[in-house]
Amino acid sequence: MIEENVDVTVIGGGAAGLAAAIHAKETGAERLTVLDRNGELGGILPQCIHTGFGLHHFRENLTGPEYIARFIERVRSLKVECKLDTMVLRVTPEKEVVAVNSLDGLMTLKSRAIVLAMGCRERPRGALRIPGTRPAGIFTAGTAQRLMDVEGYMLGKRIVILGSGDVGLIMARRFAMEGAKVEAVVEIMPYPGGLSRNLVQCLEDFQIPLLLEHTVTFVHGADRVEAVTIAKVDEGGSPISGTERMIPCDTLILSVGLIPENELSEAAGIVLDPATGGPVVNERMETSIPGIFACGNVVHVHDLVDYVTEMGELAGESAANYTLGKLPPLAGKIVLKVGQNVRYVVPQVISGEEPVALFLRVRRPMRNVKVKIGNLTMPIRAVRPPETVVLRLTEKRLATLGKEKELTVNIEEEP
Amino acid sequence: MRGEERRKVTCIICPLGCDATVTIRNGRVIKVENIECPRGEDYILKEIEAPTRDFFTTVRVRGVGVPVCPVRATQPVPKEKLSDCSKELAKIVVDAPIKIGDVIAENLLGLGIDIIATRNLEQIEKKEN
Repeated sequence: MIEENVDVTVIGGGAAGLAAAIHAKETGAERLTVLDRNGELGGILPQCIHTGFGLHHFRENLTGPEYIARFIERVRSLKVECKLDTMVLRVTPEKEVVAVNSLDGLMTLKSRAIVLAMGCRERPRGALRIPGTRPAGIFTAGTAQRLMDVEGYMLGKRIVILGSGDVGLIMARRFAMEGAKVEAVVEIMPYPGGLSRNLVQCLEDFQIPLLLEHTVTFVHGADRVEAVTIAKVDEGGSPISGTERMIPCDTLILSVGLIPENELSEAAGIVLDPATGGPVVNERMETSIPGIFACGNVVHVHDLVDYVTEMGELAGESAANYTLGKLPPLAGKIVLKVGQNVRYVVPQVISGEEPVALFLRVRRPMRNVKVKIGNLTMPIRAVRPPETVVLRLTEKRLATLGKEKELTVNIEEEP
Repeated sequence: MRGEERRKVTCIICPLGCDATVTIRNGRVIKVENIECPRGEDYILKEIEAPTRDFFTTVRVRGVGVPVCPVRATQPVPKEKLSDCSKELAKIVVDAPIKIGDVIAENLLGLGIDIIATRNLEQIEKKEN
């Protein structure tokens, strides 16, 4: 078994991990290793062949593969060691990373700092408990995306999509563009789950019906999906008897949520936030274990990769500074609690002394709201659950915040 | 002369998502109501009179471990041409190696736009299975 001492181990070579690795190296971390279980770097981006990436970070409209290629090239030119096809088995509180691959066998990387960047996973059919048979032709949206746009398979001709998250909407357009008939996008909530530009360009453009407050109640078919039954739901989300209708189709796509992947974090004893499903982090992206940092979708599920990059850069810089002894304790400690209309806020702990970006998710769509944190009030014209609200706490805003140990983030709707 | 038509259009320029009401005569916008900013008004105008979209798809490739390469148009494509573009590119097979930015098809359908590769496909080794 290999035992190696490294400065920073980055777990995950997607958008977050690569940004972290680049910034850690640039900040001065010498021995740096990126581990990824996939055979190539880039995480989810190589399969996201649509545009809309990099509008904030590069001020350019790029596709996923183009966006991530810039980071892969930078990682290569900085000569960061990347171990691919490598599965991390365990992370210990003492910052040992146990991993395995077929070249090196079992290895333990004794790390001075770790960056967790494992991303998220799709919620599968089993988590939804949809009754019916178990035929071929049911895919999660991300899997469908990979099969179509990387592996070149056309998955079906008549498609029903459950869930109106962005990946589902984007796949609706891909299916329609490639000649399939998308019968409907079925959404259990009273509002859509994706960005409005995707509603217009992925559904309206192709006359794909969006059925709000509906769900799939049965899957039909022996070998292959033959139809699904859908029904309207009541306010509690339960199907209303008598509203069922059958839609013939050969493929059911599930776009029903993403879950941060934190088995490793949990086993290491890192404190998770039940609202995000990811580690509780402070404004430096440090978790409850000093020297272990986290960034990207492992912390909370993002809508834009540009924010993932921003968070990754911060985590990488913090990790490098930690190994260099240049990361003094936080100058203060304010715990942010969620109040009315707020689902979560990241980071959960700030110093109150340094400028910081807060990432918020709201519970429902609202207009003309006021965000209130302590004595600070910020007006926002419109907020929607699928879109991250980014609050930049500048020095001026921090000065009005108030120095409590705990502050609640509320969003108030104007009467 | 055809009569006036009123249509609802959702603006996608910012998160406000104004639901504008547009009055159209002979395919020309003559009035935009319920819109809050000039940028949105420009968007609505273009969206009605000459809508364009980003275009991207995959083309088949030979000589690497993956069967397709993602591509995109260098400029937005007229909305009504999206499906024609897609069909045209379905006829193409490209040989690897391919680099980001390589022109896959020039002046597609005479639209004055090129189709370029969006992924490097030289270093991907053939995988088992």
